Amino acid sequence: MRNKIIIAVVALIALMTVFGTVSAADLSGEEIMDKVYNRETGDSRTSELEMILINRHGAERIREIKQYEKDFGEVEKKIMFFISPADVRNTSFMNWSYDSDQSDDQWIFLPALNKVKRISSENKSDYFMGSDFTYDDLGDRNLSEDEHSLIGEDTVDGKDVYVVENIPVAADDLYSRTVTYVWKDKWIGLKKEFYDQEGELLKVLTVNEIKEIDGILTIADNEMHNLQSDHRTILRTSEVEYNTEVDENLFSERMMRRGI
Amino acid sequence: MGIEMIDKITDGVLKYPKTVLIIILLITAFFTFQIYDNARLETNLDKYKPDDHPEFIASEKYEDLFGINDAVIVAVENDSDPNGVYNPDTLKKIEEISLALEKLTEIAKGDVNSLAAADNIKGSEFGLEVDPFYQEIPEREEEINNLRADVEANKMISGRIVAEDGSAALIIAELKNGEIDRLELYQKIQAIVEPYRNSSENIYIAGQPVVEGTLAHLMPQDMKKMIPIVIFIILFVFFLTLHSFKSTLLTMLVVLFSTIWAFGLMSALGIPIYAVSTMIPVMLIALGVADGIHLLSHLNQEIKAHPGKDKLELIKDMQQQLWKPVVMTSITTAAGFLSLLTSEVLPIRYFGLFTAVGVISAMFFSLIMIPAGLKIIGLPNLKIKESDKKAADKKFFHKLSEFVRKNRKTVVIITVAITILAAYGASKIWIDSSMLSKFNQDEEIVQADRFINQNFGGTTQLNLIFQAEENDTFKEPKYLKDVWELQNQLEAREVVGTTYSLNDYLRRINKVMNEEREEYNRVPDSRDLVAQYLLLYSMSGDPEDLDRLIDYDYRQLHIQLSLKTDRSQEIKSIIAEIENFAANSSLNEFEVEFAGSAYTNMIFTGLILEGQILSLAISLVGVFLLLSLLFKSFAAGFIGVLPIAVTAAVNFGVMGGLGVSLNTTTALISSIAVGMGIDYAIHLLSRYQYYGIRGFSKAETADKAINLSGRAITFNAIVVIAGFMVLTFSTFPPNRELGWLVSTALFVSLIGTLTLAVALIDLMEPKFIFNKRKDDQNEK
Repeated sequence: MRNKIIIAVVALIALMTVFGTVSAADLSGEEIMDKVYNRETGDSRTSELEMILINRHGAERIREIKQYEKDFGEVEKKIMFFISPADVRNTSFMNWSYDSDQSDDQWIFLPALNKVKRISSENKSDYFMGSDFTYDDLGDRNLSEDEHSLIGEDTVDGKDVYVVENIPVAADDLYSRTVTYVWKDKWIGLKKEFYDQEGELLKVLTVNEIKEIDGILTIADNEMHNLQSDHRTILRTSEVEYNTEVDENLFSERMMRRGI
Repeated sequence: MGIEMIDKITDGVLKYPKTVLIIILLITAFFTFQIYDNARLETNLDKYKPDDHPEFIASEKYEDLFGINDAVIVAVENDSDPNGVYNPDTLKKIEEISLALEKLTEIAKGDVNSLAAADNIKGSEFGLEVDPFYQEIPEREEEINNLRADVEANKMISGRIVAEDGSAALIIAELKNGEIDRLELYQKIQAIVEPYRNSSENIYIAGQPVVEGTLAHLMPQDMKKMIPIVIFIILFVFFLTLHSFKSTLLTMLVVLFSTIWAFGLMSALGIPIYAVSTMIPVMLIALGVADGIHLLSHLNQEIKAHPGKDKLELIKDMQQQLWKPVVMTSITTAAGFLSLLTSEVLPIRYFGLFTAVGVISAMFFSLIMIPAGLKIIGLPNLKIKESDKKAADKKFFHKLSEFVRKNRKTVVIITVAITILAAYGASKIWIDSSMLSKFNQDEEIVQADRFINQNFGGTTQLNLIFQAEENDTFKEPKYLKDVWELQNQLEAREVVGTTYSLNDYLRRINKVMNEEREEYNRVPDSRDLVAQYLLLYSMSGDPEDLDRLIDYDYRQLHIQLSLKTDRSQEIKSIIAEIENFAANSSLNEFEVEFAGSAYTNMIFTGLILEGQILSLAISLVGVFLLLSLLFKSFAAGFIGVLPIAVTAAVNFGVMGGLGVSLNTTTALISSIAVGMGIDYAIHLLSRYQYYGIRGFSKAETADKAINLSGRAITFNAIVVIAGFMVLTFSTFPPNRELGWLVSTALFVSLIGTLTLAVALIDLMEPKFIFNKRKDDQNEK
């Protein structure tokens, strides 16, 4: 099961509660994370994404992307069109992610080359487009890939949270462990810490803004900070619409070439 | 007042000689412990560079921006397998060494590049793939062949990380920023590769940190071996000239103690020992024996002249007669070394300061410890019946003075001729910051370096940066294509192995995206395509690869040049070619900047030499003024400084003529020339003055002055030259150079003092010597 790209960035954290009434004392780490993973986020979504990369010298690269996603059950499809910078305008990227063990299919269309090409990225721990998010961080990582345990309760920005530790089952994972701060009763992550294989804190994900759109809690602004390289990525989502009519034909090479 | 003071001191010393010696021994013991406890060798060359110099600031900025770091380069060669490194066994060794290097605390995380770690940009039925060459080491023949085909098709790897013929592969491990002990690193790396040495593979280790580590390893080792021999030879010759074991012992203690005090004070103040500081003992051996020789050879003559005279009286007489030249020579020599405080380079400043400390300590020991020692162990036991030999000495110096005075104009003319010749030689002198040229040809590091230079790009990195004003400038094909042309032009040079820039990625991606067709192996034609390829690479490859070559704003472009030499002349010529190319192309809009250790080493060497030459000039002026002041006569300054200036000129002339490069070691030799030359001049002039003002005739004055001081200076020169000649048998080339250059400098200084200075005095008849003598115009 492959990563579900950018949108699902947000999906990792931006999830909505279904069973918001269950009392805390009864929940295990496993159950909390299950609620986060299975929060209802709609079948389809359109949005505009602003990705800001900031390196340790303070220099920025800003990209604006229009993206469409739809869950077709067996497969989740996503298409992204670059709006800016101008020299990559209309470059498009499409990702099909399968529920089965099949690898994701990925295509890119470069208007200057006028060709659609498949690209391959074998590794889920590769960083996506030079950001601080791996494909894995962006996609909804399978619940069973980690062992979850509730290690405490805390507050983040005045909100009560569960603190859940997630330890990867696979020994060769990029991380030795992650810690998720889950907003009580809302089942959405407000903060996440990533520790590298040496046990050093590698990255911190913080949520700057949450909006409720069409009744779904949506993360509008979050930031991943790699503390070891002092590189940061800010992701801002706007113009979000859920459950819109997204045509299946949109997710095709023809549409990639046509652009928006 | 002076005489009274020295009398008081001498009386005190002679009254309580044991107490004086014990105090000196206690202080020396304290400094010895300081050395044992706190002495620390500084092996990181970056520590030597002044960090406020504009070139270093710029270089550091780019090193930080593009992650430019010195790298350890390990080459693994398999010349027994027809497939070279393409066999599971060798691949496994490469992977193991890479992993071991990556675990070193000195190596930056994830910055070890090798076939095991490198990404391959490759076209497939898919489109673009950027993946490691293999996940698991290929075992089957077919897999091995595929790997070989993959490597050979990728010019970003073939010829860079794997030799084109497949016989060898590199592991390149970049150092972390910050304090890294090169010697320790060198030893760790040796330990890592040791188990692989006696296998079917040959292992070579090179790279700037290894060169520095090897230097830090070999230089003290050689010094440790050579210095005892130098000391022994000096003792031996000393003994032959002074015929006294006691005198020899006392003088050696003076040298030894002054060295311990200089290093002890350095350690107590927490100042590390820099490479150049290892020259301090060398300087002190040369300079420290001078005082002892003068004192004791005078004592010898007095003992011979007045065999029955009381011991204490003889010692007092020695102190009275010689304290002034001893103090003067020491102060002026120390002042000469203190002129190095004007240097921009910290280690050179410390070198000057602590050599001066040593020289003053040597003066102190000579005036205190020698009399105290003589009181305790007794006067030298001389066999007085050497009258015939003594006569021979006297005859020689008599003849010499007569000869020089008779041919005084010829002497001056010959000196002028020699100086002109030397100036011509000096004009050919070349500066070299090369570290590799310091080693013997059969040294491991030299062979490793040669092997890597033959099979790969080169071990020396030069980093070129074009800096534009506008963001996104280096997405423009116009500029990129000119950079590519520059890369090609540079690669045509013999010493430039490979060049590496954003162009290499763009060309590779362009080819891969166009079905591997060779005609697309070029820089893309449109800015949009450049930008889109870069975006594509950020999706499928590791975008951090590109951060090493282009900044975030596409405003600063970095080009890596791998050179097969670290010689300054070559680097300068490459820099000139780059600047010339840039000025005549679209690149003329940009600032051209350079970074990296090869470049900063070159700038650094220039800086040191600039400082050396400035301080040489300052010290010559200083010597002139000091001598003028001491003898209250500008003539004295002039007569004293000329032989020194000639010595310095001949020193540089010989180097230029024989092709010895000017580097940080050889440049310091001029300091010895000044330090010794000034001693010789003072001894000669003060003897002349001593007899001159007592109304002796011109001929008598010259005869006596030359006989007394000439003998002492000659002894001094012979002793030190004999010691330094030993260094010419060193296994370490810089020490060999040091040995014969110092010997030459001392020899020229000796001859210059005994001929040029004597001839000048005879010609000028300066008042400070001859003002009492009006009745003696017609001597001849």
